[in-house]
Amino acid sequence: MSELHDPFKEAKEKGPILVAEFQGEKIPMILKLKDIREATKDTETYSSDAPRRVPIPSEEDVRTVRQYPLEVDPPVHAEHRKIVEPFFLRPKLPEYEKKLNALIDRLIDEALERETLDVVHDFAIPLQSHALTYLLNVDEKEAELWIGWGIHVFKDGDGKSKGPFMEKYSEQMFLAAEKNPGEDFFSALNQAKFDGRKLTMEEKLGYANIAFAGGRDTIIHTAVNIVDYFAGSPKGLECVREHPQMVKTAAEEFFRVFIPLTHIGRVCPHDTNVHGHEVKAGGRVSLCWSSANRDPEVFKEPNEVKLDRKPNPHVAFGFGPHNCLGAHHARAIMRSLILKLAERVERIEVLRTIELVEHEKEYSRKVGYELLEAKFTAR
Amino acid sequence: MPKVTFITQDKEAVVVDNVEGSLMEIAVDHGIEGIEGDCGGVCSCSTCHVLVAREWMDKVGQPEDIEKDTLEFNPDVTPRSRLCCQIELTKNLDGLVVEVPSTL
Repeated sequence: MSELHDPFKEAKEKGPILVAEFQGEKIPMILKLKDIREATKDTETYSSDAPRRVPIPSEEDVRTVRQYPLEVDPPVHAEHRKIVEPFFLRPKLPEYEKKLNALIDRLIDEALERETLDVVHDFAIPLQSHALTYLLNVDEKEAELWIGWGIHVFKDGDGKSKGPFMEKYSEQMFLAAEKNPGEDFFSALNQAKFDGRKLTMEEKLGYANIAFAGGRDTIIHTAVNIVDYFAGSPKGLECVREHPQMVKTAAEEFFRVFIPLTHIGRVCPHDTNVHGHEVKAGGRVSLCWSSANRDPEVFKEPNEVKLDRKPNPHVAFGFGPHNCLGAHHARAIMRSLILKLAERVERIEVLRTIELVEHEKEYSRKVGYELLEAKFTAR
Repeated sequence: MPKVTFITQDKEAVVVDNVEGSLMEIAVDHGIEGIEGDCGGVCSCSTCHVLVAREWMDKVGQPEDIEKDTLEFNPDVTPRSRLCCQIELTKNLDGLVVEVPSTL
């Protein structure tokens, strides 16, 4: 397998930050793992109390609500997180794994029956959408609608944000759950208490917003990148087949190298010197997870995929109090996917691709594919 | 084959006998509450935090830098803290005692 490209390699050699411009705002991107970990712990200097401005580029034009618990600071953050945490721990239940395995088996059956498939739209998007119904404990039929939302809820290939539609849909789900309460995510939020009171609709929409958006393109791209990797490395597939216990280190390595979320923002409430760059109060910094995951001071041969890499202290799920709530779900899906591909697929040929590349002024980074046409051959 | 004692969050001693290998995997396999091992033992998640009994600290040794940095994520880190995915239970550590810290 050839070396993977790291768009931040040269910048890291020059220093700890890369100052990049997003929507006219100059933002220092923190590039090294240790520095990022330090920054995540200092929530007073690097705050998440910034509705719609934690993601970079910011999302002011695609959603109206603050995302919970992503866009609040400790100490209230912990209480917000506790409200939804039980749902995000569900992937640890044994029956969850069974459901995921059955879903992935079904998708592999379909892939093997077809002459060719687009792994993005025929495999990864249905995988993400159906798996999300398990996480939120809603009727699996809902997945059919979600599949139509494309790769990214806010910036799908047709250039139109599905943000407003998704907010409207979530509101309808909350109202329907008021009438017919169940054991699902929407009913739980209707009943939840924060600071002794019920949540407002706006707050509930903020929770739903990230539940739909946060784990969408991330899961889709990771799954497609894994399929693509095994197409180029049949030996890797064989290796997992012979040593299934390798699945955990393999999954972590895929999370490290293919992290779909290039970075995330924090706001500096006060004038702050960020590794020599002055950020004015209200300005932002970027925690560049994808650069940190290829930090040569931490990872030997950082741009090589090593399926048995250990230790592997990556930050693909962030770090600190805001570490990814969806990590259990992502791990469960990808471990199941890796094992099922190894068990059932002899080889994967990639026939045609359209790459999805983030083009910014200072860097370009491939995050995944808009299309990946492939042929699966059964064992 | 060595044995290990986990002092649980409820202060109960759970003795696991005839085991070797990753202490995190042993804990997860035996359902020791409070040890999750989410990342599968690659030192990325810090959900397998234990406190090594004082009398065992020298034998177990100090964490490497990578482990130290990950450990620091825990608000309740102490000089006795280790991530047990980085502790290999061998004959040399037969009888080891570790404590699962209470969550805050």
